[in-house]
Amino acid sequence: MIVQLVLSVLLGAVLLHGWTQLRRSPLVAWLSLTAATGGLYLVWAPAHTTEIAGMLGIGRGADLIMYLWVCISLNLLLSLHLKLLRQQETITRLARHVALANAFVRTNDVRGAAPPTVPRLQGDARRSMRMRGHTA
Amino acid sequence: MRVISSDTVWIVCPAFNEERTIAGVLTRLIAYGYRVVVVDDGSRDRTRQIAEGLADAVVSHPVNLGQGAALATGIAFALAQGADTIVTFDSDGQHRASDIARLIATLKSTRSDYALGSRFLAGQQRVPLLRRLLLRAATIFTAFTTGLRLTDTHNGLRAFTRRGAAALDLRQDRMAHASEILSEVARSGLPYVEVPVTIDYTEYSLAKGQRASDAVMILLDLFARKLHR
Repeated sequence: MIVQLVLSVLLGAVLLHGWTQLRRSPLVAWLSLTAATGGLYLVWAPAHTTEIAGMLGIGRGADLIMYLWVCISLNLLLSLHLKLLRQQETITRLARHVALANAFVRTNDVRGAAPPTVPRLQGDARRSMRMRGHTA
Repeated sequence: MRVISSDTVWIVCPAFNEERTIAGVLTRLIAYGYRVVVVDDGSRDRTRQIAEGLADAVVSHPVNLGQGAALATGIAFALAQGADTIVTFDSDGQHRASDIARLIATLKSTRSDYALGSRFLAGQQRVPLLRRLLLRAATIFTAFTTGLRLTDTHNGLRAFTRRGAAALDLRQDRMAHASEILSEVARSGLPYVEVPVTIDYTEYSLAKGQRASDAVMILLDLFARKLHR
């Protein structure tokens, strides 16, 4: 009973995680929700485990549980990877903002440079930027 | 050399540790009268200092982000400067400044928004075998995933109209950016055309170019991008 409660709390956390990812990563979210729901069912109906494992051609119920847990772990790894990608995008936007704000622009070019124009960034960085002008 | 461009053409040169080649590349571009912005992608050598002595503008990433991010930064800068035409041009010396005029002329004569350079349309025979096979696989992959029928999908020499450049939503910072640009071209629905250009392979440019093993990372990056918004 104690183990069932602990596993239920852990799988409940996976369910919550999947629910929070529904908008950002629908595929990862649905994989998490499906695997965690399946896990919860097997935790509270262990007698069915071997029966379902047999239907799936796995043989032992314990193996089915292990495979399910591996699926959940891999899915969480994928979710973590996607989170890192989102953070990288944020860093890129920030670095681009800094780079454009400090752009070197030749202001006194004999070829007639256009006056430095302040780029506007997409997303959260919709602010004017200052450019440092240099004389050729 | 003949001055052929107007002030509304901006050349975007992404550069990372290119102190050996950047001066020559910029000198040739400037001789043609183009306006050039170098995006220094966190170089650890003298790339930025050399570029600041020659280019019209230098935008320096505080850290290395990747060529895709550098191109997106350069395009954002050029659009803000009021560019009518934006050309992407590698800084490793493999492209010819003389090809730019043909890209821009084709862009206008065909009323396209994207002119994409192709080394194979020019009948270039001296493409190393492994690179030729890799590029062939990339064209098949691109046709399958985007529907674009191209002969060269990984050519850094491209020209965009202002409308075309503004329609690109580039999020791939690193190696997958070339595939992403084509995916965005397809998504935009705007007209595109391929233009023959010549690639000058050198030991230097080949060493800096992508390897066969990079294809796996590109596929993973493209797949991961599909999984989240």
